[in-house]
Amino acid sequence: MKIVLYLHMHQPWRLARFRYLDLGSGRSYFDNDRNLGIFRGIADRCYRPALDRLLQSLETHPEFRVSLSVTGTFVEQAKLAAPDVLDRIRALVRTGRTSLLAETYYHSLAFLVPPPELAEEVAMHRSMLQTEFGAQPKVLRMTELAYSDDLARFAESQRFSGMLAEGWEGMLRGNPPTYRYCAAPAPTVMLLLRHYPLSDDVGFRFSSKAWNEYPLTADKYARWLASTPGELVGLFMDFETFGEHHSAQTGILQFLSALPDAVHNEPGLGWASVEEAIQGPPRDTLSVPYTMSWADQNRDLGAWLGNDLQRSAFEAVKKVGLVVRRSGDPAILTDWRKLLTSDHFYYMYVSGHGADQGVHQYFSSYDSPYDAYANYMNALSDLRRRALDKLGVPILK
Amino acid sequence: MRTVSAPRPLHIVMVGWEWPPGHTGGLGVHSFEISKELTRLGHRITFLTPFTGPFTPVDGVTFRFPGEPTVTPGKQYPPAYWSGGTADSPFSDAADGYNAWVGLLEGVGKVDVVHVHDWFGTFGGKALAERLQVPLVMTVHSTEYDRSLGHPWDHILSREQAGIDGATRVIAVSRHLRQQLIDRYHADPHRVRVIYNAVRPSQRLERIDPTKRVVLYVGRLAAMKGVDTYLRAAARLVPTFPDVLFVIAGEGPEYSRLIHLAASLGIGDQAMFLGKVSDEEREVLLAGSSVFVLPSVVEPFGIAALEAMAAGVPTIVSKTSGVAEISSGAFQVDFWDAEEFASRIAELLEYPTLRAAMGEQGRWEALREGWPERARETVGVYLEAMESRGRGP
Repeated sequence: MKIVLYLHMHQPWRLARFRYLDLGSGRSYFDNDRNLGIFRGIADRCYRPALDRLLQSLETHPEFRVSLSVTGTFVEQAKLAAPDVLDRIRALVRTGRTSLLAETYYHSLAFLVPPPELAEEVAMHRSMLQTEFGAQPKVLRMTELAYSDDLARFAESQRFSGMLAEGWEGMLRGNPPTYRYCAAPAPTVMLLLRHYPLSDDVGFRFSSKAWNEYPLTADKYARWLASTPGELVGLFMDFETFGEHHSAQTGILQFLSALPDAVHNEPGLGWASVEEAIQGPPRDTLSVPYTMSWADQNRDLGAWLGNDLQRSAFEAVKKVGLVVRRSGDPAILTDWRKLLTSDHFYYMYVSGHGADQGVHQYFSSYDSPYDAYANYMNALSDLRRRALDKLGVPILK
Repeated sequence: MRTVSAPRPLHIVMVGWEWPPGHTGGLGVHSFEISKELTRLGHRITFLTPFTGPFTPVDGVTFRFPGEPTVTPGKQYPPAYWSGGTADSPFSDAADGYNAWVGLLEGVGKVDVVHVHDWFGTFGGKALAERLQVPLVMTVHSTEYDRSLGHPWDHILSREQAGIDGATRVIAVSRHLRQQLIDRYHADPHRVRVIYNAVRPSQRLERIDPTKRVVLYVGRLAAMKGVDTYLRAAARLVPTFPDVLFVIAGEGPEYSRLIHLAASLGIGDQAMFLGKVSDEEREVLLAGSSVFVLPSVVEPFGIAALEAMAAGVPTIVSKTSGVAEISSGAFQVDFWDAEEFASRIAELLEYPTLRAAMGEQGRWEALREGWPERARETVGVYLEAMESRGRGP
């Protein structure tokens, strides 16, 4: 059994409060001070200590592997707030045992807007990985681990050899998630699946004292991994799991450090990067005619497009995209793309009840989904004005 | 908050102020609603009031007032307690007369708890509770500091303080108010409970012409209500929204000053002062409004906002209002920030999806807990007070 440890690094450009009365004022939509302040805090608590521990594990355990995805907005913020975090990622890549993954530059919902947005964003991201890290990724992950047959076809068209997806029973049709599969409509694209119970043991449950397995030690976890039947076990989670979602006091960083040793002690257990894991024949083909994600109980796009506010905002940003493209103004296009980042829609999630509400509240940068929507729509309305202005269309209001 | 049911029916003497239909403010409505639910739970209430009625009857509520039984309810004015005061400054003498009558009240039978609302009857309520050897519970709806915007009358402060010091349990209508009672009145935190107000579902649920754009404020026109901010916000919007009406319903000491302010801001055409409106008129107004605004500088609770939410009108409240504590579906704004109020109003006018979503969420929040829950919480406080008596207040 090979462990595929994949960690996702992303920070969005959060919006400043952009009031309705700010329309036409020329003010920036994004609060750089606040975004960079948040980044610096997370760099202290999570990025630096966790990256250092990963590098140490790579140095002391030749069999250890880790895979990372790093969004374009993350790199932009890191350059301004904590450039040493990028040096630490480079050090990991230099070991030759850290794979980087391709995705949309803006961690965006580009896969739901008309072409060529998705292809352009993935190309931007590829070129950024080449420039910053000298990496040429073979495996694609879509925002929020979105996956569908259409996305597999896209991956094939862009010459990727693999994609990540949620190992969700709904699409596995009785197959175990612990094997390599290939996409039914694009057989050259291998699929690596997230083992969500074992991933969430670390990602969500690690620090929960109400959990009957608390506390989770590296040895116990390695035993669970070793006793899981199959060839590959995908542990896919946010990088911020280590030191941010679970603070250092919970022991999560020690857990991260201790895991390679614990795995080493279990016979038959090893590591694989995503690029190693896609090598070899697939067990079966998988077909997913709808779009799946890694979020919430339903594993759909409900967390981003599940309610009227989210759908209304998304329809609006799609529509504004048409005039933005026609305007031909690169600054306007960049702002529009930052507004396509999925996090903005996540902040508009409303649910009075259910297990997911706590998770959403934790990740939101607003007091309420109504604040998030109103603020987003103001910024978008302003962007639309700018684009129309550029096109010489008279603005009525 | 415990909401256990009482082991037996309780007899509560409520030292009140107004009661419908002759009420001018929220306290009368509160007394009426909470009493109605308490009697539904099987408890009995003797309601004391300085007014001679008439009183909207409620089964299980007996009314007592100075001058009875020789004075028939509704038949004589001024009521007996008024005699000590003059036409110019009757208030503190009137309060003294009422309190003396309360303290000496006979013939109430066996009583479990004396419950006083706000400052007016605290001296009498305390004396009555001591004489009957039962606990005193006090509900604070607002404080003199807030009503006077920091320039309190000493004689009212001393009455508030006497109630807070003498009550075995104090009920505050918001967490914000509870903190004020602890900070300003040195109330023992262990004795202060929070019970929010509630509203009943509006009878009028259909919306009047949703294309009409009306922004509504309903409330007293007093300095603490922050209506200036609302008018300044309106002035920012008038150039962009020439079709929107900014309605101000209510009366009060600031009435003419606010009309002058509207005129000097150049929004006379679009700011409409309605004066006092009846309950029915208010429901009609709510049904025809796109946005409700409560810009209070100080607002211990803010029942008007909860009523607007219950009617499905998206609502903007000041952050310091008590109602903000239980309404995540309302926009919350600093009371001084006219720009932000203006922006929030514009956002609700401009984005119909937002208006619908907030209207729906607001209605759910306003109605998820009603007067029955509040009455059960109140009984919980009575039981606490009864248990802890003997161990000293």
